[in-house]
Amino acid sequence: MSTPDFTSSGLRRRRAVNRLMELLAWACAAIAVGILGIVVFSVARRGAGAFNLDLLTKTPVPFALGPVKQGLANAFVGTIVIVGFAALMALPIGILVALYLIEFARPAVRNVVTLALDVLNGIPAIVIGIFVFGLFVVGRGQSGFAGAFALGCLMLPLVARSTMEVLVLVPTSLREASLGLGVPRWRTTLSIVLPQTIGGIVTGATLGVARVAGETAPLLFTSSIVGTQVSWNPSHALQTVPVAIFELSESPDPADHTRAWAAATVLLLFILFASLGARWLATRSRRKLEAAR
Amino acid sequence: MPNFGRFIRSTAVAALAGLVAAIAVSAAGAASARRADTTITGAGSTFVAPLIAQWVPAIANAHGYELQYSPIGSGGGIASITARDVDFGASDAPLSPDQFTACKGCVQIPWALAATSVFYNLPGVKNLLHMDGPTLAKIFLGQITKWSDPAIAKLNPGVNLPDTPITIAHRSDNSGTTYNFTDYLSSASAAWKSQLGVGVAVNWPVGSGGKGSSGVAAIVSQTPGAIGYADVAYALQNHLKYFAIKNRSGKFTVPALRNILAAALLDTSPAADGSLSIVNPPKAKKYALAYPISTYTYVIVPMQTAKARDLKIFISWAVTHGQSYGPKLIFQPLPLPVVKFDEKSIAKIHS
Amino acid sequence: MSSAELTDAPRRSFTGRRVRLGDFLLQVVAGAAALAATALVLLITYKVVEGAQLSLGTYGLGFVTRVAWNPVAGHELYGAASFLFGTAITSLLALALAGPLAIGIALFLTELAPRTLRAPVTALVETLAAIPSVVIGLWGILVLGPQLRLHIEPWLHSGLGFIPLFGTPSAAGASIFTAVIVLAIMILPIVSSITRELFLGVPRDLKEGALALGTTRWEMVRGVVFPYARGGIAAALILGLGRAIGEAIAVTQVIGGGVFIHWSLFSGGDTLASKIAAQYQGATSNLQESSLIYLGLILLVFSLVTNLTAQWIVRRVARRQGVGIARA
Repeated sequence: MSTPDFTSSGLRRRRAVNRLMELLAWACAAIAVGILGIVVFSVARRGAGAFNLDLLTKTPVPFALGPVKQGLANAFVGTIVIVGFAALMALPIGILVALYLIEFARPAVRNVVTLALDVLNGIPAIVIGIFVFGLFVVGRGQSGFAGAFALGCLMLPLVARSTMEVLVLVPTSLREASLGLGVPRWRTTLSIVLPQTIGGIVTGATLGVARVAGETAPLLFTSSIVGTQVSWNPSHALQTVPVAIFELSESPDPADHTRAWAAATVLLLFILFASLGARWLATRSRRKLEAAR
Repeated sequence: MPNFGRFIRSTAVAALAGLVAAIAVSAAGAASARRADTTITGAGSTFVAPLIAQWVPAIANAHGYELQYSPIGSGGGIASITARDVDFGASDAPLSPDQFTACKGCVQIPWALAATSVFYNLPGVKNLLHMDGPTLAKIFLGQITKWSDPAIAKLNPGVNLPDTPITIAHRSDNSGTTYNFTDYLSSASAAWKSQLGVGVAVNWPVGSGGKGSSGVAAIVSQTPGAIGYADVAYALQNHLKYFAIKNRSGKFTVPALRNILAAALLDTSPAADGSLSIVNPPKAKKYALAYPISTYTYVIVPMQTAKARDLKIFISWAVTHGQSYGPKLIFQPLPLPVVKFDEKSIAKIHS
Repeated sequence: MSSAELTDAPRRSFTGRRVRLGDFLLQVVAGAAALAATALVLLITYKVVEGAQLSLGTYGLGFVTRVAWNPVAGHELYGAASFLFGTAITSLLALALAGPLAIGIALFLTELAPRTLRAPVTALVETLAAIPSVVIGLWGILVLGPQLRLHIEPWLHSGLGFIPLFGTPSAAGASIFTAVIVLAIMILPIVSSITRELFLGVPRDLKEGALALGTTRWEMVRGVVFPYARGGIAAALILGLGRAIGEAIAVTQVIGGGVFIHWSLFSGGDTLASKIAAQYQGATSNLQESSLIYLGLILLVFSLVTNLTAQWIVRRVARRQGVGIARA
């Protein structure tokens, strides 16, 4: 970098360039805030007006010949069931993977598995959909379980990474003290170390749920041939909110669009709530752990 | 601390148990996706979806069946029933010999009769503009690009056609309606036949793709100057204007019940595989009123299936009582010879 | 440092076998989970290759360069070239729009923003990342598309129509241009949050040293922050690109569909991901289904390459600077 020009005209020019760049940076931030505002405002404005309790309590009536009360109850129930099972599958495995990597693994093994997790995180959701389709749906039919498995694959890296991040923060002195007292390794890990990381685990789980609740692509392959009735049984395909929004978005009927906006608002609120809550939890648990060091 | 440890241990045990349970249930569930005995699942044609939607409450009342139908396009229906992902598939495009082989012992039964309307969005212009096959082919080939084109004006003397560019809406998925439409265009235009041919999806040179008949209707209703094709029920439900199309007898006909019936006279005895072709009937007195883009649509079921009893009751009901739900959606009730053929085909289904 | 190293000294087991069994069990179960996670990636690759086998065998690598997608029975011919083009043009343009914007936002948040604005704006940008793609697609179809069709595209066409990129405005609002805007909105948060972490990691003394020499803030950024964070910015951009390449749902909702390559941004088209999403459910022949999975295989290869490249850059930079880069 050449020496700055300190002559008064040079200084003026450099200050002008600086001012311009600062304005540009402000402009970028304004654009980002603007875009977010426009999208969220669009969805909220159209969705809030359309929202009524029917959305959650009534089932869809396709090709209705006259005005009829309908909603997306089957989709909301299906999402709860499928995302619930996905979390049930991904959480234990994610925690165990994180435990293994931090507590037991040699650095070489840790690098390989971490790389695998990062690669898994980067695989497009639609490819995961193709994978689960080939694995579970071919020959057996679609099911909520297949959908949950696909979403679980998407959740796994998030849960594992989040748990790893907090496991690393647990002070080694804690482990040393426990082992020094004669507590066996496995008990140290499960009873002493793991409880410290509950905050991080919950954060990871919440972030994972927030991410997969809105995923559409894997569900198109695994749980899209559905009926209109509410069902809690994941052994056959269940309608889900993102797939319902996807189908309604391409409909010619403005009433369908209205319902799509309303469902999108509910989904968005849930995801925002979960994301912000998770981040707040993460900051809080991190602060607690760092204070304990 | 000790209490905490016990708490964590019990949580860990519970989580582990939950994991084992989830995996066990999951494996069992994904391996044998069994549905309630009175649920009949199907997927396929969006063309027939409005009629099936009327059947859902009706058959629940008549026989207690819960009918679950997913309109994913005829291609999806054929794929789903071939993979036995559903109990029945619905398609407007008849199965090819290869598809019959892949389906391993399926029977194809015509169960509804309707027509593909060609609709347009031109504010300020009247409904039922005149159109004929060759001009339609040129439009969808991208050779006619404006509504004010002389070819269209010649068919509609006295109508003030705007200079709006024509936007084509076609199907992006594999569609029996596309099959019906391209079947007609191939029959009416040698250029179309040689360049694009007939199929559930073709190499559309121009236009936007919409998913399902709804998708096409959506594009047309939101885009001034657009033109698209789908079962006439979609045009009616979305208040879209559609063409009166010139048949081979020289008359401009609309997709209405008696015009569909006239077209159906072209072929009243289904072939061995159950298919019928009634597109573009030739010039003759009895086809004078025929609408040239009419078509049958089929249900495809395996001849051997665990749900044989329920499927037989359902399909028999559909081709008899179910037909009464058709007329208000412009589905012409099946002619008697076809119903008789259907009954023989239904008898082939066994468990 | 793994805690395994803490316990190298021989243990006095107070309770004998039970202790070793517990340790052993935990290690085995956790190890099995880790193995499963790693095996999953391999299984996914295997399954995708297996599904694409028919098409791979029929077309080989010629598939990648052919512009065709004809499912008409008897004339079946498939090729990926038009979708590769669609993927390339949408992702690269989206990155060109979102990249500089994201860097600008990151700069703003680390250098310029008053303390009170910092947290809310950061939270806002992260919130954009949380919006599901189907909702952005819904917004794209019903709000963005019509706006582009009615106002922006005609304006661009009238002003810049001599460039073939800006051809006749799309009548339906669904076009490559709409898809580019949608993708840019979706990758903005990822790139900006990674870049922000990078900028936060630049050592203060380096920055203050430059300022003490009398540079303006911009000169300091250009001379200290950018060179320091250069590798990380590249990784962030590549990760954003990978995200854009893999996006299927929002793109298929707004891109309009099309098999042939058109130069105008306002025409319809398809990307690898959006084509799969559009046609997968209804593939009528095994060859068509296998060809769609072949598209998925190409997509998988792309995402692996971008992901691994970004990882490699990150690890190389981290090794050189001893700085870890947190991921969004």
